[in-house]
Formats: sequence, C-alpha cells, structure tokens
Amino acid sequence: MIKSVESRILTGIVMFVAIMILVGWVAINEEARMQAFVYQHTGRSIERGAELYASLCAECHGEEGYGALLRAPGLNNPHFFGYDPVGEQTAAITNANRTLVRLGDDSDDLLAELTDAANPPSDERQNQIQTEMEAIQTQIDNQKNIIDEAVAARQAILGSLRTAVEKGLFPLWDTIEDSDRTAFNEIEVFFNNNGTRLAQVGWAGDLRGYVITTLIHGRPGSLNVWPNSDGGMVAWSQLAGGSLRQDQIEDIAAYIMNWDKGSNWTMEDYLAVEQYGKPLSDGSIPGVPRPDPAGDNPEMILARWAEEEIVGSAGNGAILYDTRFGCTSCHRDGASAPDTIGTWTRVLTERLTEPQFAGYTGERYLVESIVLPAAYVVDGYSSGAMPPDFGTRQMIDQQLADVVAFLMTQE
Amino acid sequence: MSILPFPSFLDDVKEKGFKKAIFEGIDDSVERLTAGMNVQDVREALRGDTASRRPNPRLTPHADGFWLHMRPSYFNRDVTGMYPSFRLGWLSSYFVFFETITGILLMLWYTPSPEIAYGDMLTILSNVPLGQLMRDMHRLGAEFMVAVVALHMMRTWITGSYKKPRQFTWFTGLLLLVITGFLSFSGYLLPWDQLSLWAVTIGASMAEATPVVGDQVNLLLRGAPELGANGLLRFYLLHVLALPALLFVFFGVHYYKVIIHGYSLPPQKENIGEDTAKRVPLDKRVYFIPDILTNELMWLGATTFIITVLCIWFYHAPLENHADPQVTPLGTTAPWYFLWIQGALKLGDKFIWGVAFPSVALGALAMLPYLDVTPSRRFAHRRFMLTIAMLLVSATTILSYMGLAKFAVKTSAETEIVHELTFEPAHSKVGIGRTIPFDQMIAGAYSTAQFHGHEGLTAADIITEFNGETAANGQYEQMVDELKFQKLSANQVPVRFRTIPEMEAPVLMRVMEEFNHHLEEAPTELPNVWGALVITDNQRGLKRLDWIVSWDSVVIEGGDVKLDDEGNPLFVYATKDVPVFDDEGDPVFDDMGEALTEAELVLDAEGNPVPARRIFSDHLFIHEASAYFD
Repeated sequence: MIKSVESRILTGIVMFVAIMILVGWVAINEEARMQAFVYQHTGRSIERGAELYASLCAECHGEEGYGALLRAPGLNNPHFFGYDPVGEQTAAITNANRTLVRLGDDSDDLLAELTDAANPPSDERQNQIQTEMEAIQTQIDNQKNIIDEAVAARQAILGSLRTAVEKGLFPLWDTIEDSDRTAFNEIEVFFNNNGTRLAQVGWAGDLRGYVITTLIHGRPGSLNVWPNSDGGMVAWSQLAGGSLRQDQIEDIAAYIMNWDKGSNWTMEDYLAVEQYGKPLSDGSIPGVPRPDPAGDNPEMILARWAEEEIVGSAGNGAILYDTRFGCTSCHRDGASAPDTIGTWTRVLTERLTEPQFAGYTGERYLVESIVLPAAYVVDGYSSGAMPPDFGTRQMIDQQLADVVAFLMTQE
Repeated sequence: MSILPFPSFLDDVKEKGFKKAIFEGIDDSVERLTAGMNVQDVREALRGDTASRRPNPRLTPHADGFWLHMRPSYFNRDVTGMYPSFRLGWLSSYFVFFETITGILLMLWYTPSPEIAYGDMLTILSNVPLGQLMRDMHRLGAEFMVAVVALHMMRTWITGSYKKPRQFTWFTGLLLLVITGFLSFSGYLLPWDQLSLWAVTIGASMAEATPVVGDQVNLLLRGAPELGANGLLRFYLLHVLALPALLFVFFGVHYYKVIIHGYSLPPQKENIGEDTAKRVPLDKRVYFIPDILTNELMWLGATTFIITVLCIWFYHAPLENHADPQVTPLGTTAPWYFLWIQGALKLGDKFIWGVAFPSVALGALAMLPYLDVTPSRRFAHRRFMLTIAMLLVSATTILSYMGLAKFAVKTSAETEIVHELTFEPAHSKVGIGRTIPFDQMIAGAYSTAQFHGHEGLTAADIITEFNGETAANGQYEQMVDELKFQKLSANQVPVRFRTIPEMEAPVLMRVMEEFNHHLEEAPTELPNVWGALVITDNQRGLKRLDWIVSWDSVVIEGGDVKLDDEGNPLFVYATKDVPVFDDEGDPVFDDMGEALTEAELVLDAEGNPVPARRIFSDHLFIHEASAYFD
C-alpha cells in the first residue's frame, strides 16, 4: 500500500486521466477503424460467397461464372452488369436523329416562308433563305454521316460479337439487325430494352437487389427455360424453403457482384460467356408489343395457320399443356374433365360422328374446344368449368397450334 | 421577518453577509452528502491529517450513511497489504461491477435472435463508436473474472481462511464461483458465431448425461433439441437476468459474512485456534477514510487502465463466422474454464466423468470446512491440506490439457495438417496459410517436393524431375481430377508445377516449408507424401488456394496405422477390375446380364504390387481486403 494519501490520490488521478486520454484517442480513431472493419468484412463476405458459389452454384453457372449452354446463364458477364457494348454508338445515333428532326423543322419553316403566295418574301430575303437552307442541308449531311459512321461502328462491334449473339446475347437481334435506316427508332428501342440484363427483364431496382431476389426465391418455371438444367433455379433462402440463411445469400451476392468490371469490360469477356440470360416469360421482349392472342374464331384461326404456315410442335405443346397453362390439373383422370389420354381417339371415333360436328376436322374440333369451351360440353361434365379466355387472352397462334399438336398425339 | 414571504437563503445573506452565507451553505450540503463530514473534515482527511474535532467525523458516514455502512470503518493493518489477500476478493467485486456496466452498454445494440444477433455483433464492430473496445473489455473482463474468482478460492484454501467461523462464507464463495462460471458460459453463446455455438453445444451436452432427467434438463436449457432461437433467448435471459440476480444475492451474503467475521489475518499473526480478526488493536487500525478509500479508488483507476491498455493493443474478442449447426468446425472445445470437464470426459463414461465427477468435486469443495476441522491455520500444520490443494491445481491443469482438441482425438494426419495451415482466426491465432500477403500469392502450382532434393540439385532441377515423375505415374492427373471435382475451373488448373518464387514471395516460401515440415512429421501415416499448393486468380482481388496432400495409402485401424513386425506401415494396394472368365475362357455374366468383374492387384514392371495413391484437398478463398496478415 502506497503510504501517503497524497501519493495515492496523485496515482489515482494519473490513472483516470490516462484512461480518458486513451479512450479519447481510441474514439478519435474509431471512424477509420470502423471503415477498415467494413472493408475487411466485405472481403471475408466475398470469400465465404466464393466458397458457397463453388459448392452450390458452379455446377450450373460455371466455375468462372460463364454459365453453361441451355443450362444456366453466365453471371460473369458484361451484359449482366449493365455494360452496353454499343451504348456510345446508340447514343450518337439518337442524338443525330434528334438533330435531324430539328433541322428538318427549320428547313420546312424556311420553305414555307419562301413559297408563301399570300406574303411573298423580298428578293433579298429569298437569297438569304436560299443560303440558310444550303447551310442546313450541309448540317443534315453531317448528321447523316455521323449516323452512318455510328451504324457502321455498331455493326462492326456486333459483328465481332457474333458468337456471343449465338449464345443468347441480344435475343431476336437477328429479326431487326438488317433493317434499313427508317428502322433506327426500332433499333434504339431494342437496345434500350435489351442493352443490359436489368433492362431486358424490366427490373426497376439495382442489380444487387435483382441477384438477391433471384437467390432467395429462385426462378419458378426456369426448368422450362433451361432444358439442360437439373431442376432449374430453386429458391435458396430459408425464407422460401431453401437451405441458406440471409447472411449466406448476401455472401453469394457479394461474390457475384465482385465480377463487375465497371467500364473495363472487353470483347473477350463477351466471347468467354457460354450462355446469356433469356428474356422473361413467353419470349416476347419488353418494349416490343406482345403478339396478338389467337382469338375465338376457329375458322379464322385455322385459315391463318394455313396462310402463315404455322405448324404445332407436340413436344412444346406437352410442356405448355402441363405447366404453362396447367391443363392437366383438371384433364387427368376424367373426374372433373375428360382425360387427356385418349383425347384424339375419342374425337375421331365419338365426337365427329355426332351430327352437329358434320364437316369438322379433328383439328377444328380441338381448336373450338379450346377457344370456345362453352360451345359443346361432353355429357357428364359441368359447363363453365373451363376458362373461356384461352383464345382471347392467353394463347398466341403458335401456342394454340402446339397444344393442338400435342392433343393429336393422345390416342 | 423574512425577505420573501417564506424563510429563505436570502435571510441568511441578510443576517450573515453573502460570503459567509454561501460558505455555510456549501459546508452544510457537503455534510449532508457525506453523511457527517463537513468541508474541513474532508480537507483534513484528504491531506492525511488527523481529525481535528471529536467525535471523529470520519466514522459518521459508516454509522449514518447508506453506502459506507456496508464497509468497515477501519481495517487491521495486517490485511491491507498485497499479502494475504492479493486483492483477489476486491478484484472479484470490481469485475462484477465492471461487467455489469460494459454489459449494459452492449445490451443497447444486441437482440437475442439467431437472425439478428450476429448482425448486431457486426454492427457493434462496424458502426458503434467504441463498440469494439466495449466488447473487448466485457469479454476480457469475463475471462479475468473467472480466473480471479478461482484464484480467490485457492488463496482462501491456502491461508486456511475457510476455517471456523467462516465455513458459510466459504460456501457462499463457492456458489459465487459456480455462478461466475455459468455467467461467463452463458455469455459465450450470445455472439452467435461458430465459436460460441459449438463451445456451448459441447458444454450443454454434458447436461444431457444427467441420469433420468438428462433429456429434460437439456430441453429446458436449449429450448429445443438443438440450440436455436429459444436456446439463444434462454441463454440471454440467464446471462442478463437470472444469473446476475443470483450473483448479487450471494455477493451480498458473502460480503456480509466477510464483514461480520472480519477479514481473516495472516495465519502467523494470531495464536492457533484463535480468531482475532474483529479485535483490532488501536495501533493496528487503518481507517477507511481516508486510507482505504483512496487506496481503492487508486486501484480502481489502475485496474481499469490496465484493462484498457490490454484491450487497445493486446486483446480483441474473437468473432468467427456466423453460427451454422450444419458445419462442425475441426477442433472445437469448451471455454477454457470448462476444459477440465471436457478432459475428464475423455476418461470414460459421460455420466461418471461429465456429471458425477464435477458434482462430487464441487460437493467436496463445499464440505471442505466441515471436513478439515483442525484448528491451526499455520502452513506448517496443514501439510496435508496444502498437498491436496496443489494436487487439485495439478489435476485441473492436466485435465484441462486433456480437454484440448489435440489430446486423444484421432483425426487423419492429412486433414489435421491442412487444417493447421488454413484455420480461420480464433483465439488470436490464424492458420499460417492465410497470412501470405496478397501480392505474394502468385498464381501457380507449387509442391513440397521442392524440399526433397539431394545435394547439388537446384530447385528448378528438382521440380523438373518431379513434373516428369508425377506425369508418368499419374499422380498429377489424379490431382487435376481432384481439383476439378472441387470445382476449380478446368481452364485454370496449371499444367505443371513450378518452383516457388522465393524472392518475390518469401512468406509463400515459408508456408511451403512449414507444410513440408508437417508432412514429414507423419512418416508412417503418410508414406511417400508430397503436398501441393495451387494458387489461382478467382476474381478481381480474390485468390483461390487449393491445398493438396498425395500419399501412398496405408492400413488404418482404430485411428492408428497398422505396422508390420519391422515397424513399417502396411500399404493398401491398388487394384483394377478385370472381367471374370469361366474354364472355357468365356466371360461370365451375372443375373442382370452384366459381365462379372473381380478386383486384381496392379503390378509394376518388376511384378510387385503398387500401393494405392490417395489424395486429399481443401481450398480457401482469400480476398485482398480480408487482412488476415495484419
């Protein structure tokens, strides 16, 4: 025990002051320490994400994230991260087109003034107008040159991406690639809607949110989109019945987001991807109007099929019948609706023998049954059970043809 | 006549003058606050003078005040030094309050739910100013508290202070020791990381061994068969409510008993069989005010200062990855103060060693004052009890050592070695493989074979030769297959080994030497072994490290290598499937129509069987921001 009271008091005061100085010093440095911790934590999150990715995701999406053909889309992918390879050119064309419209308007105004019979311009003014119109014409030519150059540059870039396009980059690009200049707007709309993955799927949030949502909920129906995948993208989160905790979902997302190269993506990166993502739903692209539904007039439908050479695929029809339109939930054992199995036999041997179907082909009977389900109800089943809108809303011609083709195999 | 319509301070000012009224007011207030000492008395006390008025005003705070009535007004000079108490009792009390204060601060940011708890830990570390310091202090304080309370018990044993009349004091102290252990243990789970989940799982599983009601006790404690949301909530409530409440109750009883019987004197200071703690001669008295008070405040500052320094520079509370009941980490242990039970469990039956033994040990400790009834507290007269004390310390130490993961738990050598190199940070240690600086992780395949060369060969020669060998005997291909199986991209697998770039990557070199060293330590289990490290660039700022061990397979029985009479390991020999032919030379088919095959030994050119080659690999990813090497 320190003998004198004063020494003890002095030592105590020194200690307390020292504690305050130390804690104060720590407090001053806390901001930097906390930032360093966040940095370090992000690094470790990516590490854990890499481990989870290797064990759970790499099988389908590829060890290096390039995806696998018809199995799963690549994630280490410039298109996925919103890098538009022709963004610069598309913007240049858009600008030039806008300028052209303005120049056209100016030119029209001058022309109107020049040819105004009620109030003809003076000679001096006429000359002036002529000069101005020539100047505008030069500018128009310049803008057209700019467009030509940008189009050529864009064509060159897209040409070098040929292999990537074949692997799913810019689906439906082929349908508009060779359009003439009047289709510029169409092309621009196409790139605005397809230039990046988020635009393609119409996701309003950010990419990380998109990744996390997909990890949590999976992709219902992705088995149909990716025939080579083994079960499709399942819901991984415990929230949605999967096996991963939220922090693990975030770790994987951190790892995936770490592939982003910002503005440093290269053509090689495009070409390395094995498979690009597909647009959602039925293959129509957001921004491009959906094809018209088949309608509810069987005769017109069949006439159109003949004219446009639409042929159904029984294989696609089977998938549509089973999953997309859910027909088998009723048409399965004959309890609530006629059984799918034997449909075609029954149509040919029973229905068509009835007088009201005189002159019908089996195909026409099937089309009518789908688009006008109330027209005839088989004895023993209630009318109004089948949704009446397959023709008017749900199916396009091709899908209807596929389903009919499938039913024609059900003997 | 009052100045205001009621009597007030202004009347004093009018009567005595402003200055005098103020001073008297202050003096009066101080006397009320200190329950008896006015300004002059306080001044004298702090100067170390004797009190100038009678009766001694320094005794009134003990007589009239609430806080000091719990403390004796004077101590015997013989108990105020370092010996005999070593301040362990005082330190125990100090940590009770220290842990309460830091604990309450941490509670502000903590939610006891498995979904949130770990995130809260990260928040405390990443977004709460002084949060890390507070957590470190709470954790370090907890470890100290367990140690201090245990040492306090040993000190009491050694000085014989548990003897009559302090038997019950000893008993309440033992209860406090147990409560302290459980307090610390229940707090262990709260961060909800791998370390806490598995340490507590091991600890709590001992409750399972209780006869008859083991399952019920377990269920009651965990709230479910496995630790989960309910278990975490229960441990939290134990930690912040139930156990502290019990602690404060017995702390009160314990201290009351200490004061009632007086601080026991050093054994040689009193006659055998006498207890003179309460009869303090005038010349031996050290008064609480001012001596003990200033002394304690000084120690309060000093102890807190030491803990602050430790937590700033030397100690950080561990935080491993998020708790995952599906993933059992290698080498899990109970907290260090329960290691002795874990060690005892390795001796045999779970009930006998996990429940009966600790209960009997604690019961014996509780009965100690009633078993040892000899009157003398002198060391010379207590050789037997002091021997028992030393045996207790030794046994606890040995059992604790046995509780360590490395003792008597058989893990295969290759797993052990790779784990040793790659384990995640825990208890201020980290696998050396993670400490390679990021810029020294140069992509390529490296092998420990580089260190196996003979005199005169350069590293490049050895590796060239090794590349030839492993290409010829298929070992390289086996490694490549293993790597692909472990989801290393086929594009990234290196085509051959290269020499370790010692100049650019000295730490990588050191790690490979360490790897080699470990492999050479298991010659019987891993004959003809080589290890490899394959470093690949995985992403921007992210490397992948694959650790590979390749060796000749040996027969393992019961965790040990089976040896022949000469002490050499017995090999497992490679086989291949060959079709079975009947006597006429036609292939034989089974019922399913498949051609039958049988295993046949693979022979080398000289007709000797070839040992089966086994391969093991594990990998880790390292991001440049992870800073394992800081």
